Amino acid sequence: MSTTAPSTERNGYTSWLLAPGVFWMILFLVAPIMMIVYVSFWTQTTFAINSTLTLDSWKNFFSSEAYVGALWTTLRLWLIVLALTFIIGYPAALFVGLLVKSKTVSTVLLVLCVIPFWTSFLIRVLAWRPMLGKEGAINIILQELGLIDSPIEVLLFSELSVIIGMTQIYVVFMVGPIAFMLGRIDRNIIEAARDLGAGFGRIFWKIIFPLSLPGVVVGAIFVSVMVLGEFATSGALSGRKVNLLGNIIVTQVGSLKWAMASVVGVILTILLGIVVAGFLRIVDLKSEL
Amino acid sequence: MGHTESIFRLDNVSRQFGELIALNDISFEAAQNEYISLLGPSGSGKTTLLRVMAGFEKPDTGRIHFLGQDITDLPAHKRGIGFVFQNFALFPHLSVFENIAFGLRNGIEDVAGTEIDTRVRDMVGLVGLEGLEDRVPDQISGGQKQRVALARTLVMQPKLVLLDEPLGALDANLRSRMQTELRHIRERLDVTFLHVTGSETEALAMGDTVAVLDQGRIIQSGTPEQIHDTPASSDVALFLNRFNLFDGTLSDNTFRGPFGSAPVQNARHNDTDVYAIRYDRTKAFRKGDALPGPALPARYLASEYLGSSVISFFETADHKQVEVDHHLSFGDPGEYEVGQDYILSWDPEHAIVFGREAAA
Repeated sequence: MSTTAPSTERNGYTSWLLAPGVFWMILFLVAPIMMIVYVSFWTQTTFAINSTLTLDSWKNFFSSEAYVGALWTTLRLWLIVLALTFIIGYPAALFVGLLVKSKTVSTVLLVLCVIPFWTSFLIRVLAWRPMLGKEGAINIILQELGLIDSPIEVLLFSELSVIIGMTQIYVVFMVGPIAFMLGRIDRNIIEAARDLGAGFGRIFWKIIFPLSLPGVVVGAIFVSVMVLGEFATSGALSGRKVNLLGNIIVTQVGSLKWAMASVVGVILTILLGIVVAGFLRIVDLKSEL
Repeated sequence: MGHTESIFRLDNVSRQFGELIALNDISFEAAQNEYISLLGPSGSGKTTLLRVMAGFEKPDTGRIHFLGQDITDLPAHKRGIGFVFQNFALFPHLSVFENIAFGLRNGIEDVAGTEIDTRVRDMVGLVGLEGLEDRVPDQISGGQKQRVALARTLVMQPKLVLLDEPLGALDANLRSRMQTELRHIRERLDVTFLHVTGSETEALAMGDTVAVLDQGRIIQSGTPEQIHDTPASSDVALFLNRFNLFDGTLSDNTFRGPFGSAPVQNARHNDTDVYAIRYDRTKAFRKGDALPGPALPARYLASEYLGSSVISFFETADHKQVEVDHHLSFGDPGEYEVGQDYILSWDPEHAIVFGREAAA
């Protein structure tokens, strides 16, 4: 058969082209994950770890109020931050991607959104301390205006400050993809809907929002992946009152409790897998890209 | 009632974008239940005119009346004027059925679900989209998209539909089929079509009334015959793409041009002196033949066979291209040799002459 020869040849090329990537992923993604899963079943003693398989670390995790509490805190903060980045990010994206008519202006606005990223992550997080603190900018302003008598203390070193910090840092990852999708909508489509008698609300819910949904999903995946693995913002802004799964991994690794760190790592990875797979079910991203 | 009621009327409508005058003091009135084609070269303001009528743009000055009502300040979604976009502008995430049902579901009026169903099914049948109701726009052809765009507008039962170069995105074959179909669909419904196009053949073939737009002004309107046989100005004659136009001077009922001088019975007022003779009135002769009128020496370049006629291209001494359209029912065209000189001539009675000195 003359037709099979070139196609097997092409398949040969394809596997050679894939080989470096596959090798890389196996070495640095699949193998480490397998290793973490393996280590999570190792036996941990106070000062040592050995490879005798046991369920002790897993039992410890699920019987400890602190660990399970951290799991719930992580999920709660993730949902709150996700909702806030969407609520704050969508209108901004709508303005940048759709309402601004000039492409130049919308590019400039997007760049403005990214400018905070020119400073380092830690500085961006720590900058919230002088803003939210007991004698911080917000409290001073509110007191000067006479709106409050004594400073609001829950602003800093609380769950609220962690939420504020995370929302501010990650909202741009929501704005970008949504603005991109909105920018791709043919303006004639919106005019066609108007011509057919639809008012702004109907046009938004029936045309604009569904067409921007892939952007929302991509943005939500970005934000979720980053928030679920977070430890720095909660470390810097919660005063150790808010413990996320990420913080537990950091402390466990710091005290050389590899088995427990692995358990939390596995749980976090599974959580991320479920969240990302769930979002991908909402839209078929393949058809959009 | 003796007079037909007008469907829309434009009173001194102007629109300017910065320095560019898109619409320059346009006044136009159209009768109900007509097919109007609006012919204009690109940049003549024809799309702007449609957008102003649909309510996507506001005119700087002037008023727009629709069914006897001033709609100048009415937002687009309350006007009830249909608009068919050149690129169809279908909703990419909705099925053919839902595209057509969109206006009924989301428009100003509340329409009952069962009525939506019947009206959409009727419309699907009218434009011939049976069996495609569940496809999305990506899964249908250009001609089918055109039908969806049309059905989506017509299902709202508008009295006026604006079509912005609706056939521009289709291939030639499909275009001529859709031409007939658009006319049929319009005749079956009590609706006026205002069809904007840059193609003179399309404009003349489809319109009951043809309006010619140039530089933001309507420079002539009338039946296709009127426009074709008696263009009001040399610009109209140029857009029709059916006339050889010669510059020259008109004085004392004589036109002096590259062909020498020709007698002129009557002339139409124009900004410049132009002599126009239709392609199919222009004939090629060999040296020494008896001529019916003026003599224009020209060199033969090439010809195009169009089935029912042959168009031959000649070039005059001053490098102006002249076309001769020979209909094959008048016998075989002569055999011309490329590069050889011939004499072009015509009956001067068939010429249309435009001149500054003619009475306006």
